[in-house]
Amino acid sequence: MQKVVKRVIPIVAWLLIWQLVAIIVHNKILLAGPLETVKALAALAGTSEFWTSVGETTGRILLGFLIGSVIGILLSYAAYKNYVIEDFLKPIVITLKSVPVASFVILLLIWFGNKGISTVICAVVVFPILYMNTLEGLKSTDVKLLEMAKVFRMPGDRAVRFIYLPQLKPFWKSAFKLAIGMSFKSGIAAEVIGQPLHTIGNGLYLSKVYLETGELFAWTIVVVLIAFVCEKLLNIVLEFVL
Amino acid sequence: MTIEVKDVCKSFDGRNVLNNFNLNIEEEHSYVITGPSGCGKTTLLRLILGLDEPDSGTVKLLGDYKYPFINSGTVFQEDRLCEDFDAVTNVTMVSKKVFRATVIEELKQLLPEEALFKPVKELSGGQRRRVAIVRACAIPSDILIMDEPFTGLDEESKTKAIAYIRDKQGSGALVITAHDTTGLEFARTINLETQCKEI
Repeated sequence: MQKVVKRVIPIVAWLLIWQLVAIIVHNKILLAGPLETVKALAALAGTSEFWTSVGETTGRILLGFLIGSVIGILLSYAAYKNYVIEDFLKPIVITLKSVPVASFVILLLIWFGNKGISTVICAVVVFPILYMNTLEGLKSTDVKLLEMAKVFRMPGDRAVRFIYLPQLKPFWKSAFKLAIGMSFKSGIAAEVIGQPLHTIGNGLYLSKVYLETGELFAWTIVVVLIAFVCEKLLNIVLEFVL
Repeated sequence: MTIEVKDVCKSFDGRNVLNNFNLNIEEEHSYVITGPSGCGKTTLLRLILGLDEPDSGTVKLLGDYKYPFINSGTVFQEDRLCEDFDAVTNVTMVSKKVFRATVIEELKQLLPEEALFKPVKELSGGQRRRVAIVRACAIPSDILIMDEPFTGLDEESKTKAIAYIRDKQGSGALVITAHDTTGLEFARTINLETQCKEI
């Protein structure tokens, strides 16, 4: 109970500060208060377009997250087994890690148009995170345990379960947490730039065009909530699997 | 099956550890490799296990042997257990041919029952060592190779462990390294100290 109170009080305090500032500014276009935002959110939630956008965006981002994770993990294993592959992949991983998301979005828009842009961007953002963390985890696996597995001719699936996975657990926990947050940030940014229809990014863009600040905040809250729920669900899945 | 260690030389950083070393390890025989620290006891076991290559000389499996490798139950110098898993899992994980119920009975011979289902990181050094011994003995093998298996065991536990190992040895060979050979009089002693002095 005390823990809940400790968490709730700062949130309530910030909501009050926000409302106070909104009253002082007294301009709904410059700054919508929490009440206007809730009203805008309620209005949005009443439309089917809202739910379609939430579904489309979440689905696309999670698909990109999944693709990036799978490719990152598989390639990191290949790099762990063969240093030539690691050397070969190093420049592309560094590039993907450091190039701004906006550059990729514009490039992809030129090449492929805006269909599935958030999926591709998420995969591109997630891949280096999972690749680097998995590779680091694999490299730090206890060589003495691996030698033990070799001497006992331990079946491969058991070596994965009992030696590799416990080693990878802390690396994956932090990597997935970072990756899911980055997925939503970059995925939505890609949608705002690329403008695919029936997406949250498109909703955000339209809010900006029509100077609907309340709606803009409402969409933002929706994104934060979806990312939060996805992160919690991911944690449950990771705890179950690892 | 006989393991022939012939004219083996091995050095580390320019320092000779084994110099023209010879040994034949035969079925049903037991060997205790002894000698001061740094005399090549662990090195010899690693060469037999195929984990290291000799600088010169050979380690061969003689006779009609079914595997291209030595099928051994091994205790390493360190415990090499998976820390987050319990003793039973640490034994069953290494082979699909060992079953949980059997492993529990095996572990009970050397460990108190309450130690069986705790993560091994919560066990004492001596208990962990005994888990490593049971792991080596529980899998079907043709030879038992044990590097200082009694480290951290008190006299009573050591005596029980020796009796357990002898029982599990069956018709296979047994190779143990030990500083203290008390209780291992049944085995042929190979003292590497002589070889150390020659080097």
